Amino acid sequence: MATTPVIRFDDTTKRFGDVTALDALRLDVRQGEIVGLLGPNGAGKTTALRTLLGLVKPTSGSAQILGVDAWRDPVRAHGHLAYIPGDVSVWPELTGERILDLLGATWGGYDQAYRVDLVERFNFDPSKKGRSYSKGNRQKISIIAALMTRAPVLVMDEPTSGLDPLMEATFQDALREAKARGQTILMSSHILSEVEAVCDRVAVLRQGRLVENGTLEDLRHLQATVVEATYTGTPPRVDALPGIEDVTVGAGVIRLQVRGSTDPLIKALAAAEVHTLQVREPSLEELFHAYYDEATEPAGT
Amino acid sequence: MTSTTTPPTTRPGSPGEAAFPTDYTARTPTQVWFRLYRHHLRLLRNAAIAWICGLTLVSVGVVTTYEDRYTTPEELALFAEMEGIPAFEAMLGRFVQLTTVEGATLSRWGMFSILAAVWGMLAGARLLRRAEERGHLELLRAGVVSPRGLTASAMAALATTHALFAVAVGTSHTAAGMDPATSWALGGSMALLTASFATAGVLASHLATSYRRAVGLVGGLLGVLLGLRLLAAASVTPEWVWWTTPFGWVGYLHPADAAWPAVFGALSALLVVLVGMAVALARRDLDAGWIGGAADEPSFAPRPLAGHRSLAVRLTGAGLRTWAAIIGLVTLAFGLLARDFSEAVADLPTMVELGDQLGWVGIDTAEGIVAFTFSIVALLLAVFAAGQVASIREEEATWRIEHLLVRPLGRVRWLVTRVLVAAVGAVLLAAVAAAIVWGSTAIVGTPITIGDALAAGANTVPVAWAALGVGIAVFGFAPRLATPITYGLVVTAYLVDFVGGVLELPDAVLDLSPFRQLAAVPAQSPDVLPLLTMLAVGAIGVAIGVARFRHRDLQEA
Ligand SMILES: Nc1ncnc2c1ncn2[C@@H]1O[C@H](COP(=O)(O)OP(=O)(O)OP(=O)(O)O)[C@@H](O)[C@H]1O
Ligand SMILES: [Mg+2]
Repeated sequence: MATTPVIRFDDTTKRFGDVTALDALRLDVRQGEIVGLLGPNGAGKTTALRTLLGLVKPTSGSAQILGVDAWRDPVRAHGHLAYIPGDVSVWPELTGERILDLLGATWGGYDQAYRVDLVERFNFDPSKKGRSYSKGNRQKISIIAALMTRAPVLVMDEPTSGLDPLMEATFQDALREAKARGQTILMSSHILSEVEAVCDRVAVLRQGRLVENGTLEDLRHLQATVVEATYTGTPPRVDALPGIEDVTVGAGVIRLQVRGSTDPLIKALAAAEVHTLQVREPSLEELFHAYYDEATEPAGT
Repeated sequence: MTSTTTPPTTRPGSPGEAAFPTDYTARTPTQVWFRLYRHHLRLLRNAAIAWICGLTLVSVGVVTTYEDRYTTPEELALFAEMEGIPAFEAMLGRFVQLTTVEGATLSRWGMFSILAAVWGMLAGARLLRRAEERGHLELLRAGVVSPRGLTASAMAALATTHALFAVAVGTSHTAAGMDPATSWALGGSMALLTASFATAGVLASHLATSYRRAVGLVGGLLGVLLGLRLLAAASVTPEWVWWTTPFGWVGYLHPADAAWPAVFGALSALLVVLVGMAVALARRDLDAGWIGGAADEPSFAPRPLAGHRSLAVRLTGAGLRTWAAIIGLVTLAFGLLARDFSEAVADLPTMVELGDQLGWVGIDTAEGIVAFTFSIVALLLAVFAAGQVASIREEEATWRIEHLLVRPLGRVRWLVTRVLVAAVGAVLLAAVAAAIVWGSTAIVGTPITIGDALAAGANTVPVAWAALGVGIAVFGFAPRLATPITYGLVVTAYLVDFVGGVLELPDAVLDLSPFRQLAAVPAQSPDVLPLLTMLAVGAIGVAIGVARFRHRDLQEA
């Protein structure tokens, strides 16, 4: 059953002068999915989201929301979505209340009861003037404004930057509720634990290119397993084995990563009289370091 | 909304939702548009009220005091002689029947129309480019509205304030006793002129990549159009030159010309063209402009910044070049016309008398015209100083100052440095004016000495310093008010000098205006006491402002 994806990037390319901020991005988000957009600073995450909203014009290709190209028809496209920008900046002279009124109205309407509920849950004081809000509180304004619209599609650029851990948890709960209601979410983030907690799928951008796209499970399987062993015999000779990387040998300790079959490794270790053996999946940090590192050393391993 | 065959397109009724919440308020695109219109109107409200009240009241003052003031035949005759004198028309726009209340009032609008244009230009650029710079437009553009719809809602809000302006001028002038047709022609055409400049501000917001540049673009256009009016005033140019600039068109509102339909037609056509262009260019990348993308912004800093001093020099220097160009053009024009003007006036002895009354001393000589020129330079320098106060405040409002003050740099050092650089900037601008007047009068063969030119320039500098001092004092106590109050005081002081006599304001009030206190150097010798007073005001203002700034909280926008 082939349904149209809710969000579709169709070879979306965006250049700013000589800089290619987004390079032929192809990415679909299906209904009810929460997709995390990851990547190092300057990778093109914000550009991708702004292109999706039609805030910038793709140099080539297109981006669609429910089949509508937001650059061509922003009114119809924006009728389906709510957006949390990366740098939230609010009107200094308006109160939080007024700002929520304004954004609720211009983003196509909102659920008043849900708004009251969100204001309470996020512990937000809407009576103050815009200029007096702290960074986290400004962030709350746009989170509440976006969620209270109950828009079918939520597009968020680092939505939790500046939130305290308690609010971060509240936000994750709200996302799960949104998912349960069938809302579709595309969010960029630098917080891997958050991505792990709420996202069904991640897409990794690097220098404007999509370098990875799949569930965290998929990505883990692609990645190496971390093996740590202590031994009493002669140091095992593992360098020549297939799929072995990152070997560090200490006094009676060996640490390495293995990709693919572990059988040859186990046999090699057996000869070394292994005392303890630890095999685990890489942590999310370890998983993503590779992508982020390579951005700073493009020639790297 | 058009239905699609895809998953949930309507809001609350998404799968998993038991029922539609009862208090869900949906907005149609039309409702969204009107909400944005109201939002823009709210942002414009306070400034619009101030400008409308200010301009209307001053002008009504001219109407109501006219009857008692110019009644004797001698006075009327004198007034009549002013018509056709290029120096006055260059300054004030076209003169028609100054002996009628309509003529007297309309002639004042030669100056007021410039202020109205400035109001429009700033309002338009603020509403769009300033808001975009501050990140507010990103939130609005994410709404159920197209970029063109958003621009249109802003222009509609601007137009509403201008319609109110027309009504305010029309009703108040009629009530004050001016011919109703002329009152409404004045109100309508000034509203159209203001709207045109506001739309130019909106258009420039789509062209330029920063608020500063947008204002620079429209300011440049304003300068060119005023230059054309200056040209039209010269005796050698034919009558039609007045029609090359909107500031000339509004000179044809007097009933004697019977030309208001043509004025309205021309202004409306201009407005329609500008609105069309603004809407057409509205569909563009956020944070970009049609002239120069965001990509070439960094070219502003070709040299590495050595420290806060060079930053101060750079920030002031950016505006300084523009100001040097404006002041250069004004002084060049008057310098080149000095001989024409003074010789024309010399044929009209009563004119010289009247000029004396108005504070324009000896305008039958080149020195007198140069002195008159420097009275305008004094105004421009004061506006420059107010701009410097605004620029200093901007560093705090945007919190950029934080980057500097976290370094081992005291607040006092930072502020004093910026003030000193601004003060030196005023001196440089006065020097430019002096040099150009000296050169241009020499070219037309009525040379004034370099010493006289420098004295005239030096005479204007204390006005700028006084404005700077007052502005910094306000900055110390009420930073958010520093920019509006400083600009407001400069404009008010000039208006007091310009129409205060007509309005029969008490001398005590008139004397408060530094512009009135300035001696007509080089036609007169400098008046030391007022100059010292201005220097004292400047120094004390800076001292108070700095002392207060040192101990108060930083306040963002
Ligand atoms: N308006 C612009 N003009 C010029 N270059 C731009 C513009 N916007 C983005 N870029 C460039 O495009 C690239 C991608 O930027 P983008 O903001 O999308 O990155 P990002 O992934 O959101 O980074 P971050 O994690 O820091 O938010 C960067 O190299 C950036 O310098
Ligand atoms: Mg970003």
